[in-house]
Formats: sequence, C-alpha cells, structure tokens
Amino acid sequence: MKFFKKTDLIVIIILLIISATVYLTYNYLAQGEEAKAEIYLGSKLMKTVNLSTGENYSFSIPGKENVVFHLYEDGSIAFEKSDCPDQICVNSGKLHIVGQSAACLPNALILKIVPRNGYNNNQNDVVV
Amino acid sequence: MTNKLQLKISIILIIALIAGMLSGCAKETKLTRYDTEFLSLFDTASKIIAYTTTEAEFEKQSNFIYDELKVYHELFDIYNNYDGINNIKTINDNAGISPVKVDKKLIDLLLFSKEIYKLTDGKVNIAFGSVLKVWHEYREAGIALPETAALPPMETLLEANKHTDINMMIIDEQASTVYLEDKEMSLDVGAIAKGYSTEQVAIVGENNEGITSMLLSIGGNVRSIGEKGNKEGPWKVGVQNPDKEDGTSLIHTVALVDSSLVTSGDYQRYYFVNGKRYHHIIDPETLLPADHYRAVSIIEKDSGLADGLSTACFIMPLEDAKALIEKIDGAEAVFVMPDGSQEYTSGFKDYIR
Repeated sequence: MKFFKKTDLIVIIILLIISATVYLTYNYLAQGEEAKAEIYLGSKLMKTVNLSTGENYSFSIPGKENVVFHLYEDGSIAFEKSDCPDQICVNSGKLHIVGQSAACLPNALILKIVPRNGYNNNQNDVVV
Repeated sequence: MTNKLQLKISIILIIALIAGMLSGCAKETKLTRYDTEFLSLFDTASKIIAYTTTEAEFEKQSNFIYDELKVYHELFDIYNNYDGINNIKTINDNAGISPVKVDKKLIDLLLFSKEIYKLTDGKVNIAFGSVLKVWHEYREAGIALPETAALPPMETLLEANKHTDINMMIIDEQASTVYLEDKEMSLDVGAIAKGYSTEQVAIVGENNEGITSMLLSIGGNVRSIGEKGNKEGPWKVGVQNPDKEDGTSLIHTVALVDSSLVTSGDYQRYYFVNGKRYHHIIDPETLLPADHYRAVSIIEKDSGLADGLSTACFIMPLEDAKALIEKIDGAEAVFVMPDGSQEYTSGFKDYIR
C-alpha cells in the first residue's frame, strides 16, 4: 500500500500551482515598468503624479507658481517654465525613465521618476 | 483521524517549516535600499543611494558623506566666502597680493589639477578662470534677456587669455600656501572639483565608515562603492540621449562596480545667440565652446580622473581623445557625435547592459 494516495498528490500539486501563480504574479507586478513622478520642495515630498493616465496638462506646486510643470499624454513630465536664471531645469527636458531626475536649484524643486512598485534589478539606479 | 493521515500532515508541515526557515535566513542578510537628494552642494543636484541594514544606518552613512562633501564644497568655492575658511575665492582675491594659507585638502586638489593639466596637454587648466568668467557673464546676461544675448567680443577673450598661465600658481606644500603671481588670473576648478571631491569622500567612506554598497551622483558625477545590496550585482547607470527632442531615450545603460562614470555635455548649461546654441565647455585654444561632440562619457575607477578626462576629451578631436583614453589603464569612453551617432574606445562595450 502506497504512503501517499493519488488524491494527496493532486492536493499537493494544486497547492504548488497556486503558490507559484501568486509568487510569479507578485514578481511580475513588482517588475512592471510602471513609473510615477515625485516633486520635492527641499526634502519635502509635495506631489506624486501618476504618469500613465494619458492626460496632458500644466500645473504648479502651491506657493511655487513661478515654476510650471507639464505632464504629457505619452507619460513624460517636464519643467515647462521657471523664473530661474540658468534654466537648467527646463533644459533637462521630458523625463519618464525610472532613475531620471531634474532640479531647479534657485527654487529648491526636484522632479524625479521613481518606480510605482519598488526598485528591482531591471531598472536604472540613476540616469545621468 | 488515522495515524497515517497525522503522519502525512506532520511531514508536510515539517517541509513547509524548513522552507520557511530557509527563506527567512535569506531575508536576514538582505539589505534595504534608501536614497536621499540635496541641492545645496557644488551648485548642482546630488543623490546618494545606499543599501543598509536599517534606516538609521543609512542616515548615518549619508550624513557622513554630505558633511565631508560640504568641506570640499566650501574649500573649492570660487564665488562665496565662509567664516574662518580660506578657499579658492580667497586665493583669487589675493592674486598678486599675497600667498594664502589653506587646508591640505585644497593643496591636494591643486596638485592633482597640475597632474591633470600635464596629462591632458593643457586642455584642462584650472588657471583658465579669467576666460570662463567672461563667458559666464555673457551667458547669464543672455539667458536673462534673450533678445540682447551676445557673444563675448574676441578681444575681451584674448585679453583674459593672457592671464591663464598655470605656472604662475605657486604652491608651497611645506607652508601649505598658494600664491597667484599674476593679479589678473583666477582659478576655476569647475572641471574637476566635483569628481575629485566625490572620489575622496568615497574612499574615506569605504575605508573608515564601513560603507559597502553606495552610489553617489554628484551633479552627474557617478561613483559606486561595491555592488548593489549584498553582492546583488552591479549598479546600473543610464546615460541620457543628449538630443532631448528625441523623446528622452537612453543611449545605453552601463554596469558599475567600484567605478565611476562622468559625462560632459553641451545640453544643460547653454544659451542662444541669434538662434545658435553656445554651451559652457570652452576650448582653451579657440576660446570658443568646443563643437566636436554632443556628449562624452568616461568610465574610470577614479572619479576625479574621470571628471578631468571627460572635459579634456570633449574639447579634443576624436582620434586624439581616443588615444588619450587608451593610454590610461582601465579607462573607457563613449562619444556622442553631432549627428547622434556614437564612437567607443575598445573596451566600453563590455560595460553596456
């Protein structure tokens, strides 16, 4: 007489399949290239922008209306206008890749692209 | 319930328990990623990423790096005075007047600058401040009032260029003083200060503070310490396409372990005169912005050397630049040409992921 019956094996296999599915789904979600933008004033997070809404609009951070950001339909985001003397923030262009960032030093604003589901090994740690 | 069923359940539970313990062990050695950014040093945006056991440990490491960088930032500043510190501005202000006593860290940077000057055949010259100052003034004015943007007159540049002899910078290591013999000359260490400081700070952090896994990006000067996390592979650094209209694509991603990547490009600091773009990297021979490339990136262990090389290569023709890089053991470069195509030194492609 066998120690494991056929039904036992089936139960074990089903359990394995369920756990494998959960594990792989979790990993897939964690690795998704889904990105969001974060805007900091100094070291304070002021706003998080979902990049995959397909919307197209300009906006500012309350109290910092002298700097205008723009979210594009293609999921990229940029410093559109700034009153700073060097314009390096505007010259940084459109950002959409995890690890990219742009800053406006005179206005103490940082715009950076971060993953929505945490970092993984497929992403760039930094973009220069 | 039969004995047999109990035994089966026990075996399955034991296996599950062992599996759980194993994965638990794996998690224990896993380090967590933290990062922080700041805008207060070297007139640029900086970022520290590190893998540590706790957030408190990350705070300790990043504060150490920040405080050390701040020391260099103040010593190498050409625009501001700081209480109780003699820096490069102090040296410039005393040109033709008197030697200035400075910290050994500043003496070391100036000695390093002289080596870079020799290595690059004068392409990277920290005594070029008088010419860079002229360009800086015209650029700032041109950005503020684009309709009146102008190029500096060549006579002004040529006049400034008479005061750029690095041999007029007299370093007395014994007395720890620096004296500029020409009162019209001024030092500008912008081409190497960030890379040099990043390198010094990384070395101390690794040797004295037990930092094992960190990526420093000081205004685009990237220096890595160790691998990511607990030996989880190299750091990945994306290099941006200089052509921003092209839709923010990367030209490539490189893998770094205990190494640096520094880029010089024409695409961040610039201004327009009559519709033509003029950037900030000035060729000491023509006294005009160099126009061989859109960008040059250097991979090299020493971030200070990488910084100097990226500026030097940017103002050299391709064959000369490649020859310079091939001369240096372990250094590699990629050149983005004006038409967007790329040229590489022989080993660069090994770093591309």
